Amino acid sequence: MARHFELSDASVVVVIGSGAGGGTLSNELAQKGIDVICLEAGSRLTFADIENDPPLMDQRMGWNDKRIGPPVWLCKTVGGNTMRWSGVTPRFLEHEFRPRTTYGLLPDTTLIDWPLMLGELAPYYDKAEFKMGVTETNGIPPFFETSNYKVLRAGGRKIGYKEFTTREAINPRGRDGRPGCIQIGFCNEGCKIGAKWSTLYTEIPKAEATDHFELRPLCMAVKINHDASGKVTGVVYLDQNGQMHEQKARAVAVAGNVIETTRLLLNSATSKFPNGLGNSSGHLGRNYMRHVVTWIVAVMPGPVNFHRGTREAGFILDEQYHKPERGFVGGYLIEASAGDPASLPGYLGWGKPVADLLANYTSLAGAGICGEDPPQATNGITLHATERDQYGLPLPVIEYAMHPNSTAMQRHAINQAKAIYESIGGADARAMEGVQLGCHNMGVARMSARPEDGVTNRWGQAHDIPNLFVSDGSVFSSSGAANPTLTIVALAIRQADHIADRMSRGEL
Amino acid sequence: MSRVIAEIHRRRFLVGAIALAGVAVALGPSAVRLIKDFTKEANAIDPGTRAAMVRMARLLYPHAAIPDSVYEETLDQALSSIAGNPSFANTLRIAERALNAQQQTNWIDLDEASQIAAMKAIERSDAFITIQLAVQVKFYNHPAVWAHIGYEGPSFDNGGYIGSGAGVVSWLPEGQ
Repeated sequence: MARHFELSDASVVVVIGSGAGGGTLSNELAQKGIDVICLEAGSRLTFADIENDPPLMDQRMGWNDKRIGPPVWLCKTVGGNTMRWSGVTPRFLEHEFRPRTTYGLLPDTTLIDWPLMLGELAPYYDKAEFKMGVTETNGIPPFFETSNYKVLRAGGRKIGYKEFTTREAINPRGRDGRPGCIQIGFCNEGCKIGAKWSTLYTEIPKAEATDHFELRPLCMAVKINHDASGKVTGVVYLDQNGQMHEQKARAVAVAGNVIETTRLLLNSATSKFPNGLGNSSGHLGRNYMRHVVTWIVAVMPGPVNFHRGTREAGFILDEQYHKPERGFVGGYLIEASAGDPASLPGYLGWGKPVADLLANYTSLAGAGICGEDPPQATNGITLHATERDQYGLPLPVIEYAMHPNSTAMQRHAINQAKAIYESIGGADARAMEGVQLGCHNMGVARMSARPEDGVTNRWGQAHDIPNLFVSDGSVFSSSGAANPTLTIVALAIRQADHIADRMSRGEL
Repeated sequence: MSRVIAEIHRRRFLVGAIALAGVAVALGPSAVRLIKDFTKEANAIDPGTRAAMVRMARLLYPHAAIPDSVYEETLDQALSSIAGNPSFANTLRIAERALNAQQQTNWIDLDEASQIAAMKAIERSDAFITIQLAVQVKFYNHPAVWAHIGYEGPSFDNGGYIGSGAGVVSWLPEGQ
């Protein structure tokens, strides 16, 4: 059952954020008998709070506080973005851990290699796939083939693609105390039956069952304190009544997703760390990556009814490799992607062409692209000089622009997706171009071999501070083409092993 | 991966987020009450503005088979759902003025092609984008529009789509 720790208890690990990184790290540590408190800014929803209603669920679980800059698609809720994600779980490829070596020095980027290789992470990918119940692994059958995926695959085969997969962290049948998917089709509004993996109803309750874990929802971390030697000592946070507390800590792991992780560490600046906690390199908040993202829809020769089922139920791997003859470095995935009517005009615009397309809603097929996005010095998160939010914290300012490599990749992907649909009779294909939608967020506290090149080391530990860790996608040294969640979970499992190992040797 | 409202400029997103989420600025309870009272008056737009905005809503997403009443309900829902943000009614007035300014005449009296041209001329303004995003969400969540385009909406209460057509693509050749 759940524990309650005293604020003065300095023997606990404090994890900030309960999503893919924070939720997994919390549970992994608790399973090893290590005491953990997880602070989560959002509320703890139940299945009854989840409804098939996108605007309502955006209010209930979205992070809708004011931010300045292009949109991000993030959650303020127990489970973090694992409530909103689509369940797509590809692994990184080997070359994506060493993009600097593989691609060379791409102009106007800050490419570096990760300080670890695929071989080291592979056993943790195995564990993550087992934990999350990824289809086509661990004896789990392939996922249900939605109509939208069948159309994508048929067209893909027609133009010569060979590698198709339905790797999803969504139960195709009952497993791990959660039911199989019944094709509700509102995956991004929270899975109402828990078929899709989310830490809300997996890692968090499992951690609570260990007697070593306390979740504190509606608690917004505002500052991390440290002592004269530079070790972190506690986390200051606001509770739901606006009362400020400090929770003492043995170690702190930050997993607030890219914007809040950056904001918290920058806001924790002191005379010893004038540029932000752990930011002696100046890289905190920088090298921000979002993936190359676009969506394409087409009108097919017959009904698809892509709303009848899982939003993203399968994807094509053929373009994920590094094939510079295409005119860009890195690769991308083509993922079957459906949407409710209200979501589609958002990237298509307005007027008769949009209405005419939507009048054909039941014949639409759609795909989304997720491609490697190189880090750039000019893309990043900073704090606004004067504007503050309801917590009294400076507003985050997000700056992001696409690199020419990303623009070229996006163009290629749009052409391929259109060819897929047109090859089997699709028409009137429309794509999102030059518009910024929120998607994945990575890189702002990146791992680096040399401290001057990043913020964290190969374990996600801050170079500057021995007991401060980052446990979300901020640590990514490259974006790869893969949707990030599986890699975040694998890194968190590995980080827990590392933390426990150091504790057992008296080093933490 | 999924969708959020698209935007090109930063301002677009701020304005769109308010429209989409319908979230009141975080204020104390008594302040929210005051603003809601103010809103009832502020949201009462005059008939001329209303007629122009209903027309604009239709031209944003023109489905000939959908009656004006649906576009009116769309507008009413947008006005009432953005309670606590009294500027939405003001945004409609701003947009009407901007449209009238395009040809120095009442936009509502122009022919359709001219009306659309005027809308295109202001389509990057904050007012236009706010209205576009609000109409997009309310209109394409209206039951009459769903019925018209064949979208079947929530499925949980019916046991999901697993027994109701999920996976069916009858026109694809066998084995594809």
